[in-house]
Amino acid sequence: MPNHRVAVIGVGETVFKTKIDDKTYVELAQDAAKSALDDAGLTPADIDAIVFSMAPTQFMGVNDVDKWAVDSVWASGKPFMRVHTGGATGGSALHAGYAHIASGMYRTVLVVGADRVTETRDAQHILNLIWDPFYEQDFALNTVTMTALSTQRYMHKYGTTEEQYARVVVRSRKNALKNPYAHLKGNITVEDVMNSPRMSWPYKLFDICPRSAGAAALVLANQEVTKERCSRPAFINGIGGTTSTVFMGDRVGPYADAELSDEAEFVSAGTAAYADAAITNPIKQIQVVELYDPFSSVQFPQLESLGFCKRGEAQNLSDEGAFDIGALLSVNPSGGTLCSNPIGVTGLVRVADAALQVMGKAGEGQVAGVQNALATAIGGSVQFVNCTILGADYV
Amino acid sequence: MDTYILGLAVHPSSAWIVDKRLEEMVFDTAKAALESARISRQELDHVTIATCDELDGRSISSMLLSAPAGAYLKDEIKTTDSGLTGLCLEALRIESGRFHLGLLSSWNKSSKAPFEDVMRMRCEPFYTRDVGLNASIADGFFAQGIERAYGIGETDVNSAVTARYAQASKNERGMRAAVPSAEAFAASPYVSVPLREIQKAPITDGGVSMVFCSGKWLNDHPDQRPLARLSGLAWLIENYQLGQERLSKLRGFKETVRRAVAMSGLQDLSQLDLIELDSQTGFHDVAYRRALNPPITCQVSPSGGPFAQNPYFCTGLVHAAEAVLQVSGRAGAVQVKGAKRAAAHGCYGFAQQGNAIAIFEGV
Repeated sequence: MPNHRVAVIGVGETVFKTKIDDKTYVELAQDAAKSALDDAGLTPADIDAIVFSMAPTQFMGVNDVDKWAVDSVWASGKPFMRVHTGGATGGSALHAGYAHIASGMYRTVLVVGADRVTETRDAQHILNLIWDPFYEQDFALNTVTMTALSTQRYMHKYGTTEEQYARVVVRSRKNALKNPYAHLKGNITVEDVMNSPRMSWPYKLFDICPRSAGAAALVLANQEVTKERCSRPAFINGIGGTTSTVFMGDRVGPYADAELSDEAEFVSAGTAAYADAAITNPIKQIQVVELYDPFSSVQFPQLESLGFCKRGEAQNLSDEGAFDIGALLSVNPSGGTLCSNPIGVTGLVRVADAALQVMGKAGEGQVAGVQNALATAIGGSVQFVNCTILGADYV
Repeated sequence: MDTYILGLAVHPSSAWIVDKRLEEMVFDTAKAALESARISRQELDHVTIATCDELDGRSISSMLLSAPAGAYLKDEIKTTDSGLTGLCLEALRIESGRFHLGLLSSWNKSSKAPFEDVMRMRCEPFYTRDVGLNASIADGFFAQGIERAYGIGETDVNSAVTARYAQASKNERGMRAAVPSAEAFAASPYVSVPLREIQKAPITDGGVSMVFCSGKWLNDHPDQRPLARLSGLAWLIENYQLGQERLSKLRGFKETVRRAVAMSGLQDLSQLDLIELDSQTGFHDVAYRRALNPPITCQVSPSGGPFAQNPYFCTGLVHAAEAVLQVSGRAGAVQVKGAKRAAAHGCYGFAQQGNAIAIFEGV
């Protein structure tokens, strides 16, 4: 249990799209910060500290771009730090913000970030540079080819078909129709996905997330401020994170500590978060999950590692509609990462969308009766993972 | 605060570490810190990393370096501001009550990084990048600002640099560079007026790891004795734009000191035995000492500060390690007799946009 309880009392997001040419990076961050402050009924002066969420700055072309944003998010004269764990950054930044409040040193924290992935002509070139320069970069590894390899392994283990992944895309794009901020949305068919251009087997274009620009922010508060300011907060009842090895080869075979294709790092991260939040039966106690799913194949192993179903079952439950909004478990009612991926804040967007569900502010995409929601994030070579449990009540 | 330092290691400093990859530097330092604390990696419940992708030369440098830093299958978070900001995050995690035993690591193999290119790319693209701003030029602007604000002359600056090199020459953990002669000062070229090359602390390679624990963990492990308690901590950031106010007032530094001292339950820095200042140039050294009211009366940078070693990104954390060694009576030839309270200072961003201060007490 933390020394001091922590809640989300304000949420802000911008629209996510390929290019936002009428705003600079720092103006985007400011838009999200202002939205979150307005939602919380606070002014910048009410914020004690700031955590900035930003992944590789090479996407943006400005090193330490967070320092440029200091004035725009009203951080000058305040404690400020940037967190960066690759794609998992937003979740890690949220956990850092949680530590600020839980420590008792701060009453309010703004967790904010922005990204403009399309400032670079080729994001996958940047993502090739995440790999070891001596052994791996020359193998054309990037996030698409990397996860395609683990997806092939998952398909081999559990007999998953490309059509089953296509149904995930169809559901996500449909859910995103109810999310005013989502980048990709629409009523598409399995055939549309199957007929989209082949990228890296088994991926077709529609199996892959977009490159998005946009920003997100959350206002976190201690119990006292929460009681004063927010009638329906989202309490942060559990956090968990696990870092694995960068080497994918070390995560396959009989001696692997955490199997690559199962995203098994989520077992320990989820166990830690569930222990905090007194979750003993996830499928019964959690109504909404906002999963970090930049590819159509990333949902199934996460759901299984997080204990929502047994290994190899998620694909069939998906086919049966169990993960539709309002069904057994509402999976990514926002449309998820498949529909919007501003990498430096994607993990934060997952938490924001989960918090909105708990706070009853998810608009047309609101799921009825949400008591607990789970948000995840993934970074590096699917090696940094984290989970956050948000609840309508303190545990 | 209820946060303790259980062990630490400082990688041997060098201008250019040629016999190890960065992963080996990080691994060796983390392992030595764990051994210093007499704990195994398996006992850790979290890891905190502080490093800079751009200086490490990789888009997400912790992908390769988190495992050498002890984070394999641990709950790990990385911050990118500075080594001492990493200490702030680590302390928050311990103080949260959610974590109890952690390893913090920070490093910089500066010799492998095109340092000023990295700094130049920190400029936003609309105004400052085309001007050609980099760290040296920002330091030159700073020197101009505080020269006027505090009446600092070249003699003051050269005296400060001489004093720091003299202290650094005794520090076995530093480079032990020779104290420059008067002729060397006079002959040194300007890098950004009024700043001369010799007045800058040379950048070196290095790394630091520290093991932190909570009071609860200590109660549960009565056989363990910590090196120090973290009694005060503050960090804050100032404007990005390098206006005259920002460059000459040292508001961020002064406010950071005030907050850290207050958290420690002290009145001012005179109640400390020493402070390790992040003086990247002689101008900084003089300005920091003159900026505070009352002025600093405790010993300043007995380790030699950045003039002993300056692995730029983690220099502030090196200072934290030096402060802990002082209050635990392990500082060797630079030990301040009877030191019980010590502060460490670190900076980050152009012309000290960010400042952090940590205060340690002997236990």
